[in-house]
Amino acid sequence: MTDLIIQLLSAMNFVLVLIMVAMGLMIIFGLMNVINMAHGEFFLLGAYTVVMTNRLGIGFWPALVLAPLTVGFIGMLIEYICIRHLYHRPLDTILATWGVSLAIKQLIIIIFGPAGLTVAPPLPQMVTVAGIEYPAYRVFIMAIALIIIAVTFYIFLKTDFGLGARAVIANRDMAATLGINTRRMYRTTFAFGSALAGLAGAVMAPVMSCDPQMGLGFFIPAFLSILVGGTGTLYGVLAGGAIVGGGDSLLSFHFSPVAAQVVIFSLAIFLIRIRPQGLLGSKKP
Amino acid sequence: MKSDISTIKSTDISMQRSVFWQPRPAWIAMGLAAILVLFPMTQNDYWIVQLTQLMVYGIFAMSLSLVWGYGGILCFGHAVYFGMGAYIYTLIVKGMIPGFSGILATSIAGLLTAVLCVSLFAVVVGYFLFYGRLKGPYLGIVTLAIAVIAERIAVDWYYIGGYNGLFSIPPFSVAGYEFITPIALFYFVLASSAIAYLLLTHIVQSPFGAILRAIRDNEARAESFGYNSAQHKIITFAIGAAVAALSGALFAIVTEFVSPTLIGFGLSTEVLIWVALGGKEVILASFLGALLVRTLETYLSELMAYYWILFLGVFFVAAVILFPKGIFGRWLSD
Amino acid sequence: MLKISNLHTSYGGSLILQGIDLKVKRAEIMVIMGRNGMGKTTLMKTIMGLLPPQSGKIELENESIGGLKPHKIAAKGVGFVPQGREIFSDFTVWDNLRLATMRYPRKKRCVPEKLFEYFPILKERKNQRAGSFSGGEQQMLAIARALVANPKLLLLDEPSEGIQPSIIQEITRILRAINKETGITIVIVEQNVDMILDLADTCAFLEKGRIADTCPKDALQKDDSMITRYMAL
Repeated sequence: MTDLIIQLLSAMNFVLVLIMVAMGLMIIFGLMNVINMAHGEFFLLGAYTVVMTNRLGIGFWPALVLAPLTVGFIGMLIEYICIRHLYHRPLDTILATWGVSLAIKQLIIIIFGPAGLTVAPPLPQMVTVAGIEYPAYRVFIMAIALIIIAVTFYIFLKTDFGLGARAVIANRDMAATLGINTRRMYRTTFAFGSALAGLAGAVMAPVMSCDPQMGLGFFIPAFLSILVGGTGTLYGVLAGGAIVGGGDSLLSFHFSPVAAQVVIFSLAIFLIRIRPQGLLGSKKP
Repeated sequence: MKSDISTIKSTDISMQRSVFWQPRPAWIAMGLAAILVLFPMTQNDYWIVQLTQLMVYGIFAMSLSLVWGYGGILCFGHAVYFGMGAYIYTLIVKGMIPGFSGILATSIAGLLTAVLCVSLFAVVVGYFLFYGRLKGPYLGIVTLAIAVIAERIAVDWYYIGGYNGLFSIPPFSVAGYEFITPIALFYFVLASSAIAYLLLTHIVQSPFGAILRAIRDNEARAESFGYNSAQHKIITFAIGAAVAALSGALFAIVTEFVSPTLIGFGLSTEVLIWVALGGKEVILASFLGALLVRTLETYLSELMAYYWILFLGVFFVAAVILFPKGIFGRWLSD
Repeated sequence: MLKISNLHTSYGGSLILQGIDLKVKRAEIMVIMGRNGMGKTTLMKTIMGLLPPQSGKIELENESIGGLKPHKIAAKGVGFVPQGREIFSDFTVWDNLRLATMRYPRKKRCVPEKLFEYFPILKERKNQRAGSFSGGEQQMLAIARALVANPKLLLLDEPSEGIQPSIIQEITRILRAINKETGITIVIVEQNVDMILDLADTCAFLEKGRIADTCPKDALQKDDSMITRYMAL
């Protein structure tokens, strides 16, 4: 029983953070038709911001603010330097962002070395959840991920900016003819999506070993979540993230991480075969 | 309405182009072949060995050129086929697959089985991907996921050597002759490159290749002409996989060892860069791309150490933006 | 008001517009006619900035707008009702209208009440999903949306397409009224001859990427040989 609760809690942990990462990826893809292959590296940059703040001796908490800001800024820079030139060739943006991901990864290796690094847990105490002892920091992760997910939903469903963004997702040309500056929206959105990944990375840094390859471990499931859930809708990401993240996490407990990946991946491919638009998707892939 | 007229026109143009294929790459290919045939006369053993390996990668790059450049299938996991080819060949010639002994465990049998199995695997994968109407970016990332998973399986699978891979692969032998010397291997790989090149250019120039390009340029249009795009893509995928498996098996023959890095994300990444930089829409340009980038890597990675990959990444981004047709691709086609 | 000279535009690799020359006077309703595939939609999209002109000039009140991005052209006072209406069907009517105000600073974002006098149905069904509307109602929404930001020039691409005759008449009446009361200039691409004769001040005929003829509506009413020449299949 205790085991089951622990498993469920850590599955929830993974799912919520995964949704954070996947939302950024989805928003960028939905708006700009750009699959940001460097999204995992934005997560990575967020995690290494924590490594940095630890080395600077200012501890973990400043990184929570610093990571999304820095990574958002880097995202904006990358949009300005390379992606902006490729909007008329969307397939090439995959290659370009992927070159960016290689470069970022290597830069991290040059600065921090290829080995895994750990940072001290910022909240070492335990709390009691559903009758069992559970690390307080894990609870904090879930709380912050939930807040961020809620805020993102609010922004996209309730604000004027969100209305504009959804209009661009639904029909880019029409939104432009109504006077919406799509380019500016792209840049803002790219920065926002990057910042989400950066924050997710920072939040996860204390519970993972930070190594230069960690981004891929979130990028692929995040992408599968979008495929499974369907593009064009934020709710799809919730469903997809829950299925992919939850499945992966729970299967890893019972079998092995590799078996879990194989099962989840095969399931995802099978699902796409029978329902190409994803579970909740409206747009065709 | 308006688009009807325009797209029919552009499809017609691309179909014509395949008929009057530019002769230039053919001449350059012949020149290159002549240089390579004569190269062992220099008796420079270091370069003979280097070139042998480079050509193996070149074949691999050409196979991706067909799949990506002509089929329009952005494949981020092409090394899966390369690695599978290498592993299957190795397992067979080492007699590690139960039931495969005697004539079934010979080098030739190994090569053929590797190529066949891998192309069958590609047909199965292709069935799900292309009838699932996956394309563009989706396809890219799904294939990427396949590569990552394949690599993890190879690492975790103790029987096929796990993390360390498999060593001491017996030399390639036909009718008692063993390809052991660098020169014998060199010519063996050179001949394979030539065959692969001729096969791929033949496919590309055939009516099948013309349909393929029509599908790549405008899938809906090609389908309205009655072509089954999924079927064509699956066939292309399978041929590309077969050639990639051949290059993988050659890699095992030349280097005498295989390891999980051959099957995974890293090599998939590399081959994509070679092909993109060389020029994905020209078979020969992809071959040259592999040769160029690998050669540069040999020199520059010593010189620049960790900075080499950083440089490659940045250079790659710049090339994607500035030379969408690749370095040699622009020069080899007009 | 709108002056187009020697405009060339390609789409999908072939040259569709091959030297358009067209002048539209202020407060005029200009109808552009032509068979399918002659470049009517391409012309509208080029004016709106959705397709880049290859050469030639587009001037709005003596200011060149050729090659600007669509949102800049919208900001210069051009409203666009595209072919097929292209309303945001998952959004409410109100959100559809509100979208056209996004370019303004937050405090100035308002949908003019006057609009609902022309289209009372939109007010009644403000919170309904736009996708639940009939074709004609969607067309009204699309026109209203294009008018939210008080444009000087309104472009309509085949507004009668797929809409029942009674609603076509109503839309014609509303467009006439708006033109009379606000002095807005209207350019319409249309194939429905009844609507053309009801609405147009001037007609232009598009053939093979050029304006082959223009004439005032009165002349057309007397002699419809031109219509059969340019429109008959």
